[in-house]
Amino acid sequence: MNVIIGLINGMITGATPILLAALGGTMTYYAGIFNIAMEGMMLGGAFFAVLGSYYFESWVVGILFAILGSLLMALIFILFSVKLKTDEFVTGVALNLFALGATTYMLRQIFGVKGAFASPGIVPIPDIDIPLLEDIPVLGQILSGHNLLVYVGLIATILCHYLIYKTRFGLRLRAAGYNTNCLDTSGVRSDRIRTISVILCGIFCGLAGSFLSLGYVTLFSENMSAGKGWISLAAIILVNGNPWGIALISLIFGFSDGLGLLLQQYLPSQFTSMVPYIATLIALYVYSSRKKKEKFS
Amino acid sequence: MKTKFINGVLGIVIALMLGAIVMWIQGYAPFETYTALFNYSLGSFYSFTTMLRNSVPLILTGLSASVAFASGPVNLGQPGQFLMGALLATIGGLYLDLPPILMIPILILLAMLGGALWSGLAGLMRLWFKMDEFITTLMLNMIADFFTYWAISYPLFDKEAYSPMTPAINPNGWLPEFGNFNTNIIVMILAFIAVWFISKKTVAGYEWRIAGQNSLFARLGGCEIDKNYLKVMLLTGALAGLAGGLVVMAGPHRFLKGLGANYAWDGVMIAMVANNGILATLLYGLFFSILQTGALGMELITDVPREFIMVIQAVIVLVVVAGRGYFNILMDKIAVRRKAKEGLE
Repeated sequence: MNVIIGLINGMITGATPILLAALGGTMTYYAGIFNIAMEGMMLGGAFFAVLGSYYFESWVVGILFAILGSLLMALIFILFSVKLKTDEFVTGVALNLFALGATTYMLRQIFGVKGAFASPGIVPIPDIDIPLLEDIPVLGQILSGHNLLVYVGLIATILCHYLIYKTRFGLRLRAAGYNTNCLDTSGVRSDRIRTISVILCGIFCGLAGSFLSLGYVTLFSENMSAGKGWISLAAIILVNGNPWGIALISLIFGFSDGLGLLLQQYLPSQFTSMVPYIATLIALYVYSSRKKKEKFS
Repeated sequence: MKTKFINGVLGIVIALMLGAIVMWIQGYAPFETYTALFNYSLGSFYSFTTMLRNSVPLILTGLSASVAFASGPVNLGQPGQFLMGALLATIGGLYLDLPPILMIPILILLAMLGGALWSGLAGLMRLWFKMDEFITTLMLNMIADFFTYWAISYPLFDKEAYSPMTPAINPNGWLPEFGNFNTNIIVMILAFIAVWFISKKTVAGYEWRIAGQNSLFARLGGCEIDKNYLKVMLLTGALAGLAGGLVVMAGPHRFLKGLGANYAWDGVMIAMVANNGILATLLYGLFFSILQTGALGMELITDVPREFIMVIQAVIVLVVVAGRGYFNILMDKIAVRRKAKEGLE
């Protein structure tokens, strides 16, 4: 029983950063931007989260800093890909590498360390116990006592769904991706919608980053996003950007993450660390074969 | 050609100036820092040859990305293919014992085979299951990273070492060195000529380029898209694998943890900034090597951490690529304005 509860909790924890980043990415997905910069935005967010939390001794400032750091990356993205019309793919790759270089550089300049910075001075984001719910035996253990951002992720999923499908902005957002000219001729500047979508993406990736460095663990290490931005991109593509679909896919990836940890008793850790990436390949295979069938039927 | 050159030089100068401003704000001396940087990569025979040696993996992974992007496949798997090439060359070097004249070519072939296997895997996933190579190659990168880490931690582990690494490979498989001039440069030049010849002078290269520009046109014109796709994936994987093998054979002569980390995305960056041109890839590869080799000197002389170069590289890519696009838009605008004027008169 405890193993199962542990696995479920591991699944939820592992899913959260991917969910948050993917919700951000889905905004740009609908706006018709090929955005691969989630990885860099997340990494920037993770670094600034530690910076804010350490110097102001507050996780709230940590989260705010994370959002600002990630927004900084988003602004660079907007400047190049929306304003200067640079290739989105090139901008994304360069931005990811910029984030990697800049955080490694600042890690050394500001904290004077190489590789990783951990300190008792970094204030982590607290876990939340939900009253009443926490007293229910098994359910309480599963649903209560998670990191604050886990619940934020859940609320964000609902909000995103509402925003994309039920509001005027959502309609314009989808129109920006579906038919830019149509949107422009109806008097809405598609560039502005795109800009807003990238800013939203930056906010979500900032949250995801702060979960990495203040929730999951309480430290910053070089390249700590470790491909999570790419996995979130895969999640978006697999469900065509539907927020609830993204939540489901994130849980599957979170499960593979937890499964990897569990398997560590039997396999060398190098193999168990591969599990999320293999899971992505399998998910992609299922998606592609389903799509192929649709085509022929 | 001329505008491209001007655009590249301008982009580099702007990026270096931006870097100088950042350094100046932090209280470093920008001019001394750049002098130290170029001194340590170009200043003497020793530093020049070191720079050439370091440029080999950059140029080869860059060529891999350039050829792939120009022909269509978005092969982002250079890091993984690099590692698998290095691993296979290391295994060959550990278990084979032949005279150098046989050993070196065999290890080179093994390295290319390792890279081609890994990219071929992604290619087959695309052809059989329609899985996008853009994501599969990325995932295979991570898998190769962990797999090689396991291989050097357990089966190939050097029992006398304190961190994960293999024993040194058979000295017969070491690339000969003259002074500080390593023959990996010669291998790279041969590979460069081969790639140039294939893409400029053969029918296959022509078909690839056309398929990269307009896949539908190529198919209607009678090119075998699938077969060409697989060929490109195999060739580009082999190039990245070769880069990995040469690093082992020229440098540490063993597979160390984090071997390919420095070259991970550099190939893709170089291809982007070079706009997938083959000669441009060579030149930008050399320039990135100047930056990376000189970074150490910069750190020694003026205390600017060498990680700063990673930032500069990304800025160069952004500025040059954005400049190229914007330059064209600007030119079009001027042309349109001139035409409008002529129309008025």
